[in-house]
Amino acid sequence: MKAWITFEKKPRLRHIGHLDLMRAMQRALRKSDLPICFSKGFNPHLQLTFAAPLSVGMYGLREVMEVPLEGDVTAEEVMDKLSRALPPELPCVSVRMVDDKHPAPMALLRAADFDIELLENADAMRAAVPGFLAQSEIIALRKTKKGEAPCDIRPMIYNLLVTPEGHLRAVLALCETATCKPDLLLQALSDYAGLPEKPRTLIARTQLYGKQFAPLETL
Amino acid sequence: MKEFSADRLERLLDTVLKPARYTGGEMNAVCKPFSDADVTFAFCFPDSYEVGMSHLGIKILYDIINRRPWALCERVFMPWPDMADGMRRENLPLFSIESRTPLRQFDIVGFTLQYEMCYTNILEMLDLADIPLFSRDRTDGPLIIAGGPCAYNPEPLAPFIDAFQIGDGEELMVEFIECVRACKAEGLSRLETLRRLAKLDGVYVPAFYQETYNEDGTLASFTPTDPVAPARVRRRVVLDLDKAAYPESFVVPYTEAVFDRITLEIMRGCTRGCRFCQAGMLYRPVRERSLETLLKQADSLERSTGYEEISLSSLSSGDYTHLTELVCALTERYADKKVSVSLPSMRLDSIVKPSLEEAQKIRKSGLTLAPEAGTQRLRDVINKGVTEDDLVRAVTDAFESGWSTVKLYFMIGLPTETDEDLEGIGHLAQDVIGAYFSVPKNVRARGLRVTCSASSFVPKPFTPFQWFGQDTHDQIVEKQTKLRDILHKVKGVNFNYHESELSMLEACFARGDRRMGDVLYAAWKNGCRMDGWSEFLNYEGWLKAFDDCGLDPAFYANRSRGEHELLPWDFIDAGVTRAFLWREWQRAQRGEVTPDCRKGCQGCGLKRFEGVCVDR
Repeated sequence: MKAWITFEKKPRLRHIGHLDLMRAMQRALRKSDLPICFSKGFNPHLQLTFAAPLSVGMYGLREVMEVPLEGDVTAEEVMDKLSRALPPELPCVSVRMVDDKHPAPMALLRAADFDIELLENADAMRAAVPGFLAQSEIIALRKTKKGEAPCDIRPMIYNLLVTPEGHLRAVLALCETATCKPDLLLQALSDYAGLPEKPRTLIARTQLYGKQFAPLETL
Repeated sequence: MKEFSADRLERLLDTVLKPARYTGGEMNAVCKPFSDADVTFAFCFPDSYEVGMSHLGIKILYDIINRRPWALCERVFMPWPDMADGMRRENLPLFSIESRTPLRQFDIVGFTLQYEMCYTNILEMLDLADIPLFSRDRTDGPLIIAGGPCAYNPEPLAPFIDAFQIGDGEELMVEFIECVRACKAEGLSRLETLRRLAKLDGVYVPAFYQETYNEDGTLASFTPTDPVAPARVRRRVVLDLDKAAYPESFVVPYTEAVFDRITLEIMRGCTRGCRFCQAGMLYRPVRERSLETLLKQADSLERSTGYEEISLSSLSSGDYTHLTELVCALTERYADKKVSVSLPSMRLDSIVKPSLEEAQKIRKSGLTLAPEAGTQRLRDVINKGVTEDDLVRAVTDAFESGWSTVKLYFMIGLPTETDEDLEGIGHLAQDVIGAYFSVPKNVRARGLRVTCSASSFVPKPFTPFQWFGQDTHDQIVEKQTKLRDILHKVKGVNFNYHESELSMLEACFARGDRRMGDVLYAAWKNGCRMDGWSEFLNYEGWLKAFDDCGLDPAFYANRSRGEHELLPWDFIDAGVTRAFLWREWQRAQRGEVTPDCRKGCQGCGLKRFEGVCVDR
């Protein structure tokens, strides 16, 4: 059995990196007394996988991780034990048990939804959105191992709009073959708006999606 | 006055190194409503988050204070210089991790003194907190207090600290905060509160004492000026560690601390009597925790933290009566959960093999051994009762058990040291390599790594070497060079050593008087902070500070003290008597060893403390 655990990473923890978050989860799982699994080998480590690492600086409302468990455990039990083990800034939102053969969350992941609070130059950024989206292609410079490579991010922007609170909401591709990070989008939008540099933002990843924008945790 | 602002803080956090040092929200952090507490305590560790979060004392006292429903304790660490500068730029006051409350809103701001080279950080933290640095300039705001091993010579910090706690903190801290609570309820003034505190056993209030100096700069007198102040301040001793409070949970950091694991303090104190070792003198007598207590503590800590490692802590773990039983029980109990057990602080002459083998079943780490000196003669001088055979046996055991990484710690600049003693370090390194190759190929692990590390000896108060003049910078550099050449000839050994400038400054503070407080202030004014980190040590700033104050570092570091000189820390009764220490100093110079007092009382003075020292 595998538990699919949806959790929140609160704003206070936005500077915690992926590896540190993973270690915190491992410790919470050890503490939870759930029947966790260890890898074989000389330095056994606790098994768990995340759907997608969350960039340092962002917080997340519905992050997903998969934890293999030995024996029969109910979702309620996992929810209960893990909730008691986790720090208040990292609460468990929901748990679902899936079969061992069920594909990993990472394999089903297609896109992510971001809420972007604009802390500077908000008006200029917001005003630039319609024109920005009307372009048939948006060339952004993506950092690669060999330096920077131009890349058309337009097809990876599934949605971009201004929310009633004045934030940006962006639905961006996030899968093995195509990923557009919010930073790349914001850089391109800020260039389009003619700003000298990308404004400061506070970003939340609010939802992960699978096929046809179904919430990842339900697939 | 600086005002705290969450917005400005968040903006700053986006620009500094490792912002997770400042954001908290860790597992088991205690978050109480600030306004509900009768007494609020900001526990300040004057070094980085990673170092502070590794320290056991802060965990114990954090728990002791927070256990009381009427008290609250929150953590504060020294901001890294980029953050400190950013806070000044953004006009942000230093704040606590848990509730982000500025320090000046607490009733008590307490610093733990683990290392002399953190002292500038105390001034930096007070300044960042908008709290006047000098005790005499503070008319309101929090009481600034300090405790920990360096508080045994509190004088260099006397101008800045309102009250010191001397000795074990488990009981004294409770009495202290209860007293502050009562004083607050009665509406007592700052002065009256300090007078009340000065009556507590183990509390030293520097403002109630006055010192005078001789023409040669040595101390002439040191006397109380207030009737409540005792002429001698007696160190506090917790007698029964099984009854002493110990946390059931630790705050688990997200970002990795230097030591990020469960620590079980298996015993306190050491009676081996190594003459250089301040801890060995200060933490007497030996007090062990029972196996039962330790297993219970391990259980609750394992359940509350999810840590993957348990470390057994003491000054000399091999001396713990039930070591093998404890290691076996822990290893067995946590085998399923893959929790490893590690054993720092093992002496070479303890029977290590069975414990090593148990500890190794789960995970293997490097082995660190401390022969301290290169020849038997010098080891006798320092009373480190281990022999070359002990070392060879210990490393052979380790190599047979599958270890292949060995670190050897030595000190240079010990009293009576000659070139022969440096040569001896080379011989010992050669012995270790020989021991490795004497173990059959199919038994030993591959990839031998031997590291020799040489630190420069710093004479400390309350040790038999408190009268000894430290080697000068030039002498140390010469010895380091010689040793490097010697070890260069031993194939397969890495050699590293510490900068001697730092050891000299450490020596000045370790045995400094109140005037060193002026040097400290001047150095901080010259921009010195984070001196313990080589990338930040500003030696020029320090030399200028001595100069500004008209004081000579050699007077404090390199001068030998005479039998009758009044020492700045003499007014503290640490347990061991001056007569005992002097006797040990004479024996040291004659190369005479003193046996472990468990084999017969050596008259160190602890027996004067009722019920503390029991003959076995």
